[in-house]
Amino acid sequence: MKKYILSLLILFSATSMVALAQDNISPARKQAIDSLALEKVKDLSKYISIIGSKETQFSEATRVMDRAEELFAPDAEMGVSSINNSEIAYYKIRSYFERLMALNYDRVNISWYDIHYISDLERQPDGRYVGVITVYQRFEGTSQEAGLNYRDTTKKDITIYVEKKQTQIAGRTVEFWDVMLGDVRVTETSA
Amino acid sequence: MRIKIVIIILLITSIQSVSGQVLSSSGRLVDDGRFAASTKQVNQFFRRFNAEESKEGDVRYYSDNENYRNRELRKSFINILFDNETSDIPVDLKREFLNTVISESYPQFLAFHGGDWFAEASTVFSYGGRSQEVTLFLKLQPEGLGHEWVIDNVVFKPFTVAFDKPKGDQKKFLHPLSHELGFMNLRRAIQDDPKPESYTPTDFKPDYLTLFIFEIKKGNLKFETVKDVKYHFFQIDKWYFELSQFNRPGFNTGWLISNLVKLGKGDRDIIMNYIYDRK
Repeated sequence: MKKYILSLLILFSATSMVALAQDNISPARKQAIDSLALEKVKDLSKYISIIGSKETQFSEATRVMDRAEELFAPDAEMGVSSINNSEIAYYKIRSYFERLMALNYDRVNISWYDIHYISDLERQPDGRYVGVITVYQRFEGTSQEAGLNYRDTTKKDITIYVEKKQTQIAGRTVEFWDVMLGDVRVTETSA
Repeated sequence: MRIKIVIIILLITSIQSVSGQVLSSSGRLVDDGRFAASTKQVNQFFRRFNAEESKEGDVRYYSDNENYRNRELRKSFINILFDNETSDIPVDLKREFLNTVISESYPQFLAFHGGDWFAEASTVFSYGGRSQEVTLFLKLQPEGLGHEWVIDNVVFKPFTVAFDKPKGDQKKFLHPLSHELGFMNLRRAIQDDPKPESYTPTDFKPDYLTLFIFEIKKGNLKFETVKDVKYHFFQIDKWYFELSQFNRPGFNTGWLISNLVKLGKGDRDIIMNYIYDRK
């Protein structure tokens, strides 16, 4: 949390010179918001890897799930489809993590590709901005008993909500832009 | 020269092969170029089409950047924005389209809020005790402080087959002196005739969207899932193209032009009728 507050303050100081009074997002501000959003996506990636790992104790996985859930806006969902079935299956964020933790493999390895794509930010009717960050994940699961060796690569399109908020620092009201994660579309790729 | 060698060595050493996978120094899997080449979002399709980002997609070009909407960059981008594996769009047609949009005298660009483009979502609803396909057409509209996608039209077979107004001798009617009998023949028309649409004005068009909303509110239509989405673009003057997502091995993937038509007079209506499954 401390890290996010620091990021928020950096984001504030990086962008406060750029027309604070207006709600438009300048390219400089957009870049700062992208960095904060990417940081949250990286944290989500890290949490998914910990939750999915067989070496993670149950209590630790539960704690990480709580942390991961805090990244998301309420009611956010995961929409999952595979190459063989393009229909979307919907999961609540918590239930997605719980399914990931319960996967019946002896060894699970989740890794992430070094590529991401960040969309423009669009303003929605309530004044908040919305964007999408795309990342790619490789999942490998092995089960010695069943002789299973499953591997897939998924594309994750992650919604980000960007909102201007206020906080009190040393008695002064400071405005900053906060980022929350929203719905995630998970598509299995042919890679 | 020495610097180049050092850079190459540094690049090689920063990438190490672990368990058959190539990892970067940050421990991340190294993309072999396929994900970079893929048009990963519809947003990226817009940016590539307009040349508003770098080739790698990591730098957004704004209007103050010298590369913003660069003609040569657009040319190279648009060439990779076609589905080259399944769509069979003639090479000459692609070339003509490319030359039209990058014309030096009248270049044309796509605008997210420019209208004249809409989404077609193939969805599944439960209706009458079984899963059935419903096609929803969505468009962007201004609302409040920003914009929103709204459902603009619906194609659902049980709706379309329910409205089949007979023509000519087949069409029954309420005779012109029905009023003298206080329209007592309405009973026969509405209760006994399986085609009550016979008794509507010549220009009657069923409003499937209203029907769709009504059936959802009554609990008869229940959403199950989305199967597929594509987009229809009429933004380029005298051209239509369809944008679809291709999830397959290789470099020609993501959001790509899957259909391209040069429009003559009246062609737009023909295509719209085809998209909306109208007779």
